Amino acid sequence: MGIKARYVFGEAWSVARSGPRQTAMAVLLVALALYVPGLLALLSRNLGRLAAAEGDPVAVIFTLDVTADARGLARRLADDRRVAKVRIVGSAAALERFRQAYPDLGDALAGLEGAPFPPTLEVTLTRRAPTGSGRQIAAAARSWPGVESAESEEEYGRRFRDAVRLLRGAGLFLGAVLTAAAILSVASAIRLALDLHREEIEIMRLMGATEGAIRAPFWLYASVEGLAGGTLALVLLYATFRVATSWLARDPHPVLSALWVRFLDMPTALLLPSIGLAAGFAASLLSVGRRS
Amino acid sequence: MIQLFRVSKEYGRFRNALIDVSCNIERGEFVFLTGPSGAGKSTFLKLLFRDESPSGGQILVNGRNIGVLPPSQIPYFRRTVGVVFQDFKLIARKTVFENVAFVQNVLGLPRAEQKRRAYHVLRRVGLHHQMNARPEELSGGEQQRVAIARAIVNQPTLLLADEPTGNLDPALSEEIMRLFAEINIRGTTVLVATHDVELIRRMGKRVLTLDHGHLREREAIREAPGLVREVPFLPLG
Repeated sequence: MGIKARYVFGEAWSVARSGPRQTAMAVLLVALALYVPGLLALLSRNLGRLAAAEGDPVAVIFTLDVTADARGLARRLADDRRVAKVRIVGSAAALERFRQAYPDLGDALAGLEGAPFPPTLEVTLTRRAPTGSGRQIAAAARSWPGVESAESEEEYGRRFRDAVRLLRGAGLFLGAVLTAAAILSVASAIRLALDLHREEIEIMRLMGATEGAIRAPFWLYASVEGLAGGTLALVLLYATFRVATSWLARDPHPVLSALWVRFLDMPTALLLPSIGLAAGFAASLLSVGRRS
Repeated sequence: MIQLFRVSKEYGRFRNALIDVSCNIERGEFVFLTGPSGAGKSTFLKLLFRDESPSGGQILVNGRNIGVLPPSQIPYFRRTVGVVFQDFKLIARKTVFENVAFVQNVLGLPRAEQKRRAYHVLRRVGLHHQMNARPEELSGGEQQRVAIARAIVNQPTLLLADEPTGNLDPALSEEIMRLFAEINIRGTTVLVATHDVELIRRMGKRVLTLDHGHLREREAIREAPGLVREVPFLPLG
């Protein structure tokens, strides 16, 4: 005859109640351990989205006068062999792009009468274009009539992509380290609970309880602890996001506003409780896997 | 019921707890195991419910060689044996009912059935009104009676008791012995380890004596008449 679920749940609840402080501490540690990588994931997702919204890497951006001949200038730029593509972005298209990229902030521009974004030309270079081509093209075109400014984005784009990669890497590394720390802290809590129940575990064995019946409540207890920690991390992360967005809506910031646009998508968000659950279960295997 | 063939138990190379012990205990017998402290009484009982395994020899319980039981089978074997300890070994955080119904709870018996069985055995030991009490709220004698109720709730064919009256005063000791006698009358084989010679004399049962790990058997003493009938708090049935 197997172990019954009601017994396992009852015993796990009893274990949790016997050390409420240790239980709360373990849940909090798991939450903190998952909150930090969650926060980095949120920031890198927003940065990544920003990079993805830009499409192909743009090497040079020309800001034009409203009266400039955008098509003529685009044709002139396209004659250069190093140039792969020139895209004309009118004021209306720029506004639409902004609204798509920042749905929460786009409404703030709705009340403006004039076009808030000047027309621009976005130049993409061929793959064979030598390094520094973007800077050279920008320097040459600055004196052209109708060109208000020309900025090479080559270096910025590379740094931006590097920054996103770094943030993701840091998130993964911190996530791994902190998850390991969470596993160890839950394992310690379980060992403590085992020590508190050592005598009664011995009695249970003498009464004919199987090893599974003795261990299952601890497996469940640790897994639920991890799940609760992961869920708490998600709640804390969402609360942080809500506070940041409402604060930035009141007082927009040129850099920070771009980092707090969208929350994690559902599958990524659900990873936090899932990792918590897995960490809790791994911790229980670590502490009660062998004969207790 | 119980057969030991040249059983020995060694703890390390130089400490022999039991040496070449052989004996038979028949089904339905009531046997005392006695001897001075350190004679090997507890080891003898531990071997019988596989808390220890023998260093040599064979132990048959209900025809089963328990010395070679695989670890996974030990819990199932223990459920067929009732064990009562000197220090009661009750789980402090559980109620009397939960202590008694522990194995039924693990096996997922319906709560109503658990209650029915627990109530039945607690009534036999006169504690059916204390089902929701915690062990700490009970006297020593009451705790021992709860331990006995827990030991017999699975209707074991064998009941082992290790110094069950060691922590009790003489009056309570007698009460507990009457309870064992009543359980024995219903067909359960009872083996009680004790060094209380006076108690053994009053009960008048077969006695096995251990001395420095060697078993010596005394002649069975005829049961004192009327002992079981003097149990007013034990309703039969």
